[in-house]
Amino acid sequence: MRTRAAAEQTILRVNLSNGTMRREPLPAEWTRQYLGARGMHSRLLFNEIPPHADPLGEENILYFGAGPLDGLPVGNGRMSVACKSPRGTVAEGSFGGFFGPEMRRAGVDYIALHGKADRPVYLYICDEHAELRDASHLWGLTTDQTDDALRRELPDADVQLRYIGPAGENGVHASVILGNRNNSGGRAGCGEVMGSKKLKAIAVRGTGGIGVADYPAFVQAYQTYRQRLDLATSRDAWTPVWSTYGAPVLARLFAEQGNLMTRNAQQMHWESDKAVRISAEAYLDRYVTKAKACFSCPWPACQKLHTIPDGEYAGWQGGNYWAGQPVVFGSLLDIDDLDFVLALSILCNRYGLDIFHVGFTLAWAMECYEKGILTRADTDGLELTFGCRDRQGLLELVRKIALRQGFGALLALGCSRAARQVGKGSERFCLAVKDQELEAIAQRSFYMVALGVAVSEVGPDHTRWYPPYPCNPNLLPPEELAALGIHLDLKKAFEGRNPEEKGKLLRWFSISRAVVESLPGCVFLVRDTLGLDMRPWWQMFRAATGMEVDYFEFLKAGERVINLERAFNVREGFRRADDHPPYRMANEDVPVFGFRRLSPDIFDPMLDEYYDAMGWSLTTSIPRAQTLQALGLADVAAALQACGVEVEA
Amino acid sequence: MKRLYVIEDLCNGCRLCQTFCSSLAEGVFSAEGRIRVLKPSGEAQDIPILDCDGRCLRPLFDAQTPTCVSVCPTGALLYEEAAAAAERRLLLAEARRRHSLFKVVAPWKWPFAWQGMPPQKGETP
Repeated sequence: MRTRAAAEQTILRVNLSNGTMRREPLPAEWTRQYLGARGMHSRLLFNEIPPHADPLGEENILYFGAGPLDGLPVGNGRMSVACKSPRGTVAEGSFGGFFGPEMRRAGVDYIALHGKADRPVYLYICDEHAELRDASHLWGLTTDQTDDALRRELPDADVQLRYIGPAGENGVHASVILGNRNNSGGRAGCGEVMGSKKLKAIAVRGTGGIGVADYPAFVQAYQTYRQRLDLATSRDAWTPVWSTYGAPVLARLFAEQGNLMTRNAQQMHWESDKAVRISAEAYLDRYVTKAKACFSCPWPACQKLHTIPDGEYAGWQGGNYWAGQPVVFGSLLDIDDLDFVLALSILCNRYGLDIFHVGFTLAWAMECYEKGILTRADTDGLELTFGCRDRQGLLELVRKIALRQGFGALLALGCSRAARQVGKGSERFCLAVKDQELEAIAQRSFYMVALGVAVSEVGPDHTRWYPPYPCNPNLLPPEELAALGIHLDLKKAFEGRNPEEKGKLLRWFSISRAVVESLPGCVFLVRDTLGLDMRPWWQMFRAATGMEVDYFEFLKAGERVINLERAFNVREGFRRADDHPPYRMANEDVPVFGFRRLSPDIFDPMLDEYYDAMGWSLTTSIPRAQTLQALGLADVAAALQACGVEVEA
Repeated sequence: MKRLYVIEDLCNGCRLCQTFCSSLAEGVFSAEGRIRVLKPSGEAQDIPILDCDGRCLRPLFDAQTPTCVSVCPTGALLYEEAAAAAERRLLLAEARRRHSLFKVVAPWKWPFAWQGMPPQKGETP
């Protein structure tokens, strides 16, 4: 068996235009500076994608990447996928499953896909062997059909796959890449870019092993990490709930607190009997057939397989019910039938659509329909009201989005671009930032969410910081928190509707998540104190790679990643004016609960505080020269200046 | 004599057992464990296969418990006498009759009290 050191990081460069491939090692120093996965991608994106490159052209590069902890029992199979988004920003997303470890075992830590193929292809990697194969027979297949077809074609049951569905092939906004049937990632447009390269799938099989530098130290650090996450020993109330019922428990809690986006966020509360019908408990009772997990996850059942047992969709199979589905297909559309919610979600997975794009765009269209901006003539005859009675029609519409047919072609643009096309004031109920649809968490009651959504470099994405249920800082004594570099007024920081301390809090959370996603580890597995006290992650990284790195130097990697991603966006022309809440959140109070709109007097001070904490210009959001210098990113400042960007001292 | 038992329908396919087992001899993490989780049809099935009597090469977390059993998150692996293993099976069956939570986790892995819960709908006390 071939053994590799955990610190080794190799990239396989594939030129799809002419079919050439080569493997090259990445600089060893980069592992220290950017760790791996998302971090390494931030550096590669900035260095290798030319400014103002056409996102759907030959110059854009699609990266798949694992990191130093992948393949070890802590990587959780997480991996990153990145490219330039068709919306101009950085596009980066994280996957679960088994693909990352398999890449590592095959001796490939990163795959860079350059150029464009002239006919559909898929990439097959088996240890040292790599080849591009014809995929004309797979083009047009749904993701489950692609999975089946490739498994028939490739002899080994352990081969790991990543593929796009018809949505990615047809260039639908926010289409995703899937794998292991139900794990998806890259909603900032990675599926669209993969489709533009005519790459249907990647298959990888590796038989090697990964050695750690200091095994006893690694096992010891693992033990601490495991204790914080184990059901019996975790000091976090979320641990047992999330690891079994999963995140959809939130919909029911939020429904009565004014935190659940209902009917395109026109209301923020939902009748509790409706919320109960689509709750995690109802899901577990009726649909779940089996617990599932990503590679080496310490939790019993964060994922599940489900089958709809009877009724109109009897026998439909799928997997995973997260915090997103009960909102985007439930309360947001006012649908309280879990059969139908799951059917919509299964259909999105089959076609490679992003559920947030589909949910928010449908909700926008429903509000337009109810307000008379869109009529039956526009919707191909579908009565598109909230709580849609014509279920078959709605499922058909989702198919049409993926195939860009009829009314679906408009919705395939995403709600921002569709609203710009339709006009008539419909932009006011489009819930998107940087042309990307929101995610499922309320903003006017959780100011940190509002700020996080607005500043995120990839568009709204709750995995960039902590949703409103972060680690509990009271688990650590104040002096220990201070020693870990966390200087916050905790009371203010954790008050949902208090703008104070939010910028500093978000800075800490963004950095800690960037570190976890770069190792990579799972952003769900930061319960107990693992998101505040990063020492177990640091110890595992040191023991695995054998690199001597100081704790604060280790955390700096996260800061570097965020600065590089921000610098990429700045070079593409994004500035402070692009970091704002959606119109509805900034201009309408929450009905019934009376939570105030995010007017400039609330929002701007938070934004100032965040930019200030990050060391960025308050007027433009461009990282200051001294900030970049201190992070060892002086070349980034120079590159920005070379493009005519004014970098403040 | 204690030996290893597998409760197949509790296995979630994470392969922690296999990954840790592979590392016990030389500190190299791979797929070459004495316990393996087969996935013959992609993700629909997870089938743990044992080639081990439970005398662990290196019990990492508890001297009396094989490493694979210590790291299993769902309770799908047991290291028990035959009678005790049978009891665990019965406990699981009973728990599953009472609550759907135990479709996905073993009752001995669930940290909160569950026995003595009120009878389910349609059940006579």
